[in-house]
Amino acid sequence: MSDKNRRLMTPDGVRDLLPGTAGRKRQVENRVLETFSLFGYREVATPAIEYSSTFTGEMNGDLEGKLYRFPDERGRTMALRPDFTFPLARLAATHLAGEALPLRLCYGGSVWRYATGQQGRQREIAQAGVELIGSGSIAADAEVVALAVESLLAAGLSEFTVCLGHVGFLQTLLCAHGVTKEAAERVKAYFNRKDFVSLKEYVATLAVSDRSRRCLLGVTALRGGRGVLDEAAALLSAGTERDSLDRLEETWLMLEEFGVSRFITFDLGLVRSLDYYTGMVFEGYTAGLGFPVLGGGRYDRLLGLFGRDLPAVGFGLNLDHLLTVLERRGVFGVTEALVFVSYSAGGRAGAMAEARRLRREGRPVILDVAARTREEALAEARNRGAGEVIHCTAGGRWTGNE
Amino acid sequence: MNKEWLTMALAKGRMLPPTLELLERAGIGLGQLREKTRKLVFSLDDVGMRFIMAKPADIPTYVEYGVADMGIVGKDVLLEQEREIYELLDLKIGHCRLVVAKKTGSGLFTGGYVATKFPRSTERYFQQTGRQVEVIKLHGSVELAPLLGLADVIVDLVSTGRTLKENNLEEAETVAHITSRLVANPGSYQMKGARVSWLAGLLEQAAEGEKENAESI
Repeated sequence: MSDKNRRLMTPDGVRDLLPGTAGRKRQVENRVLETFSLFGYREVATPAIEYSSTFTGEMNGDLEGKLYRFPDERGRTMALRPDFTFPLARLAATHLAGEALPLRLCYGGSVWRYATGQQGRQREIAQAGVELIGSGSIAADAEVVALAVESLLAAGLSEFTVCLGHVGFLQTLLCAHGVTKEAAERVKAYFNRKDFVSLKEYVATLAVSDRSRRCLLGVTALRGGRGVLDEAAALLSAGTERDSLDRLEETWLMLEEFGVSRFITFDLGLVRSLDYYTGMVFEGYTAGLGFPVLGGGRYDRLLGLFGRDLPAVGFGLNLDHLLTVLERRGVFGVTEALVFVSYSAGGRAGAMAEARRLRREGRPVILDVAARTREEALAEARNRGAGEVIHCTAGGRWTGNE
Repeated sequence: MNKEWLTMALAKGRMLPPTLELLERAGIGLGQLREKTRKLVFSLDDVGMRFIMAKPADIPTYVEYGVADMGIVGKDVLLEQEREIYELLDLKIGHCRLVVAKKTGSGLFTGGYVATKFPRSTERYFQQTGRQVEVIKLHGSVELAPLLGLADVIVDLVSTGRTLKENNLEEAETVAHITSRLVANPGSYQMKGARVSWLAGLLEQAAEGEKENAESI
């Protein structure tokens, strides 16, 4: 393709936001970030460009192949940030090292990842999210999940589910049934993709008892309300530690106190794809959208990579997905009616005064850029979708409603 | 029963009759679909389900984008598309194999030209088995390619192997065993969890029954 053709196009996976959509996106982002700040989370911003070593390493195998990398002027490898969790961990370990714990931080902005698989996948993703750093308590888990619910509500979504799981449950179960570490990784990968066909085939090949096989496959059915936790406990043999289930139970009770439990379901087969989760994990879904609108969990070992060993929990919300759903549901009201102010010879000063007055009142005004007749002004206003026209002449002022 | 509507995408064509039989065994009678008709959407009020008829290759798209909550589609299509949808159940219908076939009597294939309708699965398979190939994408009559000298081997679906034999080809390697799968959209899987489990349960029973029949023959 010639450079001339390319000049008119955007690269694969990124897009222009047009009038209307761009404004609505900002509106959604504002509502979400406002909710974060109501919970005491302080906004931070980090650079779009970082050293790629911030993001690579043992805990980020999943992002490794999706990183936009390029050399800087001295040949060092740079990266466009693929998420906010790592940069915020860096902040917590450096600039904010002296602050009282726990830290409550939030952010909103783009992340970039090479899309794998399908064509047409977005590579620039608008995210907003929070990190609660320095508390390993169940109350911290519950607060972050409750905040996830409240931010979806604030954005205008009413029908959604946040499903909770715990990476420790499957881990304990696999261990208790004597599954080797290597095999356990494979089983978890199948759970992550919810590829239950391969899971069943693979579990059949494991050197474990039939009862163990039934237990492992039984996890696929552990979805639904609070009762799921009791069913889950039945799969663990007596004496096995059930810390993960106890924590989920306690989290649930707190979410009831937060008044958001009607949005919560359990899915004990939920395994998030990122390697760094160590405890509770959760994903938010809404009808008619195949992708999660938000995801998060507890990651108690990540901060250690940055030299400050602190527990942490957080989530990220995909604003593009959220915007798509909200636009489809038509939750955006009509915007404030636009006023078109025009003038004919001698009326300019009056028109400007009129525009200034209206703008002070908070009304959006388009002030015409040339003198024209009243009829022309009416046609022009109609073309621009203005709800009201004010035409000023040397002798006075004429008002009309479209 | 909670009557939340479930939309399911079904494949038109060869796989439709066995799919309908399976649904019928699961207690979901779709008699109206057996008649020759051009209608593409059907509703079954008593079980709260809607069915969309689609080309097999489009089913993962409908499911991924959420216009269908679930779908029934061949593993060959799933292997080729690598979508982010959940594969809940092997329905054990539509048995066939994705195979490498070569001209009868020709030697071991160590690399070269491969003609296929499944370029991505083919590419992946030869990469995994350490052979360099150039994949030539065709849309049909793949068996012609070795005869005309367009390719050394083909990768294609076979069930009985008759078409291969008639074109003087033989199976050399099995790439994958194919059956139809029940797939679900991750959003529907969570939002309509109980309904999805209900249907998966019915279909699993029906599919297991089928297997026993097949084994007793």
